[in-house]
Amino acid sequence: MAVAEKQQTVIGASVPRLDVREKVTGAAVYADDIQFGPGLLHCRVKRSPIPHGIIKRIDTSKAEKLPGVKVVVTGADFPDRIGLYLKDRHIFARDRVRFIGEPVAAVAAVTEEIAEKALELIEVEYEELPGVFDPVYGASPEAPLLHPELGTYEYPNFIFPKPGTNIANHFKIRKGDTEAAWPQCAAIVEHTFRIPHVQHVPIEPHVAVAKAEENGQVTLWASTQSPFAQRALIAKALHIPESKLRVIAPFVGGGFGCKAGVTMEAIPVAVALKLPGYPIKLRLTREEEFYTNFVRQGLVIKIKVGCDKDGNLLALENTMYWDGGAYTEYGVNVTRAGGYSSTGPYDIPNVKTDSMCVYTNHPVGGAYRGFGMAELHTGIDQAMDMLAEKIGMDRVEFFKKNCIRGGDVLATGMVIHDVGIEDCIDAVARDLNWGVKEKPSGPNKVRGKGIALAWKAPAMPPNAGSSAIVKLNADGTVDVSVGGQEIGQGTFTVMAQIAAETLGVPYENVRVTGPIDTRYSPYEWQTVASRLTWSMGNAVRNAALDARQKVLNVVAEAWQQDPKELDIKNGYVISYRTEDTMPLKDVVVYGIPKPNDQGWIGGPIVGTGSFMPTYVTGLDPETGQGDRAVVHYTTGAQGVDLEVDLETGQITILKAVSAFDVGKAINPELVKQQMEGGMVQGLSSALFEECKLEKGVMRNPSFVDYRIATAIDVPPIMDTFIIEHAQDDGPFGARGIGEHPLVPSIAAVASALHDALGIRITNPPFSAEKVYLALVEAGLAK
Amino acid sequence: MQNPHPGLPEIEYIKPASLEEASKFLAAHAGEARPFLGGTDTFVRLRDGAWKDKYLVDVKGLDGTAQVSFDPEKGLTIGAGVAMNRVEAMPEVREHYPLLAEAIRTVASYQLRNRATIVGNICNASPAGDTIGACMLYGGVLKVFGADGVREEPLDTFFKGPGKTNLKPGDIALSLTLPLPPRGHVGRYIKVARNKLGDLAIVGVSVLAYPDATLASGYRFLIALASVAPVPLRVPAAEKVLAEKTIDEATIAEAAQIAMDSCSPIDDVRGSAQYRKLMVRNMTRRALTEVWQKLTQAA
Amino acid sequence: MGYHRITLTVNGVMELVDVPSNMTLLQMLREKLGLTGTKNGCASGECGACTVMLNGEPVNSCMVLAVECDGADVVTVEGLAKNGQLDPLQEAIIETGGVQCGFCTPGILISSRALLNRKPKPTEFEIREAISGNLCRCTGYNRIVEAVKKVAGTE
Ligand SMILES: Cc1cc2nc3c(=O)[nH]c(=O)nc-3n(C[C@H](O)[C@H](O)[C@H](O)COP(=O)(O)OP(=O)(O)OC[C@H]3O[C@@H](n4cnc5c(N)ncnc54)[C@H](O)[C@@H]3O)c2cc1C
Ligand code: FES
Ligand code: FES
Repeated sequence: MAVAEKQQTVIGASVPRLDVREKVTGAAVYADDIQFGPGLLHCRVKRSPIPHGIIKRIDTSKAEKLPGVKVVVTGADFPDRIGLYLKDRHIFARDRVRFIGEPVAAVAAVTEEIAEKALELIEVEYEELPGVFDPVYGASPEAPLLHPELGTYEYPNFIFPKPGTNIANHFKIRKGDTEAAWPQCAAIVEHTFRIPHVQHVPIEPHVAVAKAEENGQVTLWASTQSPFAQRALIAKALHIPESKLRVIAPFVGGGFGCKAGVTMEAIPVAVALKLPGYPIKLRLTREEEFYTNFVRQGLVIKIKVGCDKDGNLLALENTMYWDGGAYTEYGVNVTRAGGYSSTGPYDIPNVKTDSMCVYTNHPVGGAYRGFGMAELHTGIDQAMDMLAEKIGMDRVEFFKKNCIRGGDVLATGMVIHDVGIEDCIDAVARDLNWGVKEKPSGPNKVRGKGIALAWKAPAMPPNAGSSAIVKLNADGTVDVSVGGQEIGQGTFTVMAQIAAETLGVPYENVRVTGPIDTRYSPYEWQTVASRLTWSMGNAVRNAALDARQKVLNVVAEAWQQDPKELDIKNGYVISYRTEDTMPLKDVVVYGIPKPNDQGWIGGPIVGTGSFMPTYVTGLDPETGQGDRAVVHYTTGAQGVDLEVDLETGQITILKAVSAFDVGKAINPELVKQQMEGGMVQGLSSALFEECKLEKGVMRNPSFVDYRIATAIDVPPIMDTFIIEHAQDDGPFGARGIGEHPLVPSIAAVASALHDALGIRITNPPFSAEKVYLALVEAGLAK
Repeated sequence: MQNPHPGLPEIEYIKPASLEEASKFLAAHAGEARPFLGGTDTFVRLRDGAWKDKYLVDVKGLDGTAQVSFDPEKGLTIGAGVAMNRVEAMPEVREHYPLLAEAIRTVASYQLRNRATIVGNICNASPAGDTIGACMLYGGVLKVFGADGVREEPLDTFFKGPGKTNLKPGDIALSLTLPLPPRGHVGRYIKVARNKLGDLAIVGVSVLAYPDATLASGYRFLIALASVAPVPLRVPAAEKVLAEKTIDEATIAEAAQIAMDSCSPIDDVRGSAQYRKLMVRNMTRRALTEVWQKLTQAA
Repeated sequence: MGYHRITLTVNGVMELVDVPSNMTLLQMLREKLGLTGTKNGCASGECGACTVMLNGEPVNSCMVLAVECDGADVVTVEGLAKNGQLDPLQEAIIETGGVQCGFCTPGILISSRALLNRKPKPTEFEIREAISGNLCRCTGYNRIVEAVKKVAGTE
């Protein structure tokens, strides 16, 4: 029948992004673009100039008297702690400051200039305390204690703080017997890697506007990945009934993790509570973006790994000191993720892992694309590369021999599902012409190739949930409401594809309603962990199935047929038995009249659906063992072909290749865009990026000296390959890909550098200076 | 710790009608008024609080600052207010001053160079200024309007330290003149930076050379270095070697070594003194070699 | 602080605006004229998100004082489409997938439009050079370069 035949699956089709026309015309509204009229007040924050100290005195009286200043608030007004996993921070420091840039007070004034002037009039007296600027030292008993109250903080049962130390979480794995395994190893590599702090660098800095009404309603407009988590956390910390705090989240100009959880958003809300009736806006400067908000934690990772003479991995000891910064509310879970994934995607029978989150007087660590995996892989993959060299095996062969396969028991005891990592390795090796030495472009240049692997599971509480509403309109179009955020990854487009396919309507007829608004949008935990396609996708699919069933039930009753004989195709309800058809628009709002004016059947159709994984189990605190540590892993591989200028040390990446097993690519072009963008972000961190911290001072908090890759620094050739080993509980078999492409990049570059130079430079970033000075040290240059 | 303002602090914008008026105002408000052209250095410094001027005096468009002209006799005269891109796009500049065009293309981004000026780059006197080396090697002379009328400031003696020049309060640079370079000249600017484009120089090496029969080597080589001393640095000792000895690999290496030994860089967030010195040697060698190859090809 | 009354043309429309001395062109567009398509990513000339056309040439609007624009002709991203018809560059960047979060997009479009205006058939290097002052954290840039090539007919 004609209508049914025209139906084409939109799953696996690279339909254009839903939001793109607004974005290319400048019409897309971001948080800073919302107009609030003349009542708008501007907020600026007084920040700690020292990394660690006691606040002796704060005097705001002079600032309060400055004309144009409406209100000044300090920590004295807000006693409760806030934090996503470990509630360890105040919105404003109260008795103690622990990093440079920590909020101490805030001002709202009629202009930003006046607010800035008022900051200068706030007097704060500190007594400086010795600081902790290295996580290994911080974990030692000699280090000053940064959070003496650690034992009193609130945290969930999968975080293990050690009160009386600076260790905010200690995750352990004890599997097999590493001590017994070492004597059986034919080759052992032991190495310590240091990975610096980096910053997310969304091109849109954080912006938040809050307004409290006299009736107790509070609204927050924010550039955020986490409207619902922000509502929950801020409401609790500020004693607002959760349903009275409304978070509205327009388009986000890049997040990469730094707009997850709560950082600066609580500040304008706190100020607004003191001054009902006025919208209060806080917009971070680029410089504040660099050191006052989340950064990616630094990591010191000590690895000992060994294999037998045939290259089979036998044992791994992995000790990780995460530089969690002044507050580890979010970072404790990065430590946990680093812990349970500490083997990388390798099958290793004997494992001993200690992953520790250590308080320091550095900027606060938070979620960053990859959630610990890029840092982990920078260590583990380089160690594997070294081990392959030591045992005399080709790296690709070594990786394939040891990578995980479906059915393997992971270090946590979880049995891994079908994974396509071997296909990924093959795809990358083939595309890179693995094993073929390429010619450099001139004298004083050398070429090299490298490859590295990646795995990552969604890191989240076991019960992170999603929900969706699918509403059918009288013109036959469909509105999908979700609470997960469009941050550039294309999630709205993918949700529309899933709804269209499930319902049986053309993709063009589906809209995803934004902005996300906690008052009207269904619940979503957070836009993090590469979990939306899978988790929110399941919720959308369930909502669409619900709506579909409701439609079929109505039509079946009208036609007096069994709903099982009916289907929806291309926007029409059809009967396989009678070949009757009816356009959806004739059903979904006004219902269907019964014959002979005898009344009506049906009514407005709204489908609802939710999804929450119910099968994730706890892990033993001493051994890290449990049935199912995580929901699933996305795996993949990446390779680079690069050239080094021996007279400057400068690296040029000529080609980069990625392959990832995404289960099912709902929209292949969007998947490829994630692979390319993630790869470039990863390569940028490999070549350029580092928060240069000296005694707690960030010396490069601006684009002048924190450089990221530009259009001219990126590899002109980027090849990407999609591998599909279906995810059993994913919508149409899909799993996530948002974070993974940057996970292996640093290790891939390090491996290629070694291939090119014959020496190892192991600590990123691989700046021209670092490379050149290493050549000098090795006697390869003068 | 750097904590710049969200926007520019409160300032007064002054657009004087004449040079005299501008100069008088600047002299009368020494320390709190500043002339500006593109403003690309000025706005950044005001925003980050390093400069605290109350008045910004817009000197673009005043007499003689808005034009750029080429005269086969007198050379190139670049009005102070002329943006870098306009200079770079001139066929005469690409033909007769390719070293300047090359240096301009390494500054910031295309859109910034539509505001940034060469004279601003010079007056700002950052040792990292990318176009300063080329202007010095072409024998650039600044025309300056001051309390005592117009005077000339050769660039070779203009710089006194980072951000410090011979300019006094009330002085306004009007234009820069670059005489026509000698026949057969070849130039090269090599900038070592973190990104391939858009970054500030860790090291910048400008080389200009031309045949000169009066010299033993037959060629005159000029070298200027950026970012490795308190001021843009000329290296006369290396230039001397290249004038006196037969030009070959060894002479070039010797000159490069002298360049390295004569600079005094500092460690900063962009690069260490050690790396800078090594790059001065390597890039001077590279630039000299490339220039030498072109000179011999031409001959 | 003094205010200045200026007149200028923005996207073909004559505007009369009172601006304080320290207001940048970027702030004027966003806060006085409500043209929020032009973005603020750094306020210091580094990221290119604020790029607009000033008298036909791209500039960082955070590095220009509003008062300097008296009598000027400004084109922002909102002025690229004509009568609801997208500029070919806007069409191309949609097709190649050069937009993710979209925050860099307005500046990227202006920089590349300006490039094509002065050089209709740029080389790949010239394209990369022309947008090297526009930071994008999402796309990895190559799809943006593809879009410019597409319009130039050099892909
Ligand atoms: C994002 C960014 C990137 C940059 N990258 C580079 C780079 O790669 N290489 C580089 O060399 N520079 C770079 N700069 C610095 C700057 O752009 C250049 O120095 C530029 O040439 C300055 O010119 P201007 O006209 O904008 O100067 P302005 O800011 O107008 O003036 C600079 C200085 O000169 C003084 N001055 C201006 N005009 C006069 C006059 N007529 N008489 C006397 N004194 C005067 C001013 O008071 C001020 O001290 C960068 C700047 C930014 C913002
Ligand atoms: S906002 Fe103007 S360049 Fe970043
Ligand atoms: S698309 Fe997000 S910054 Fe370019």
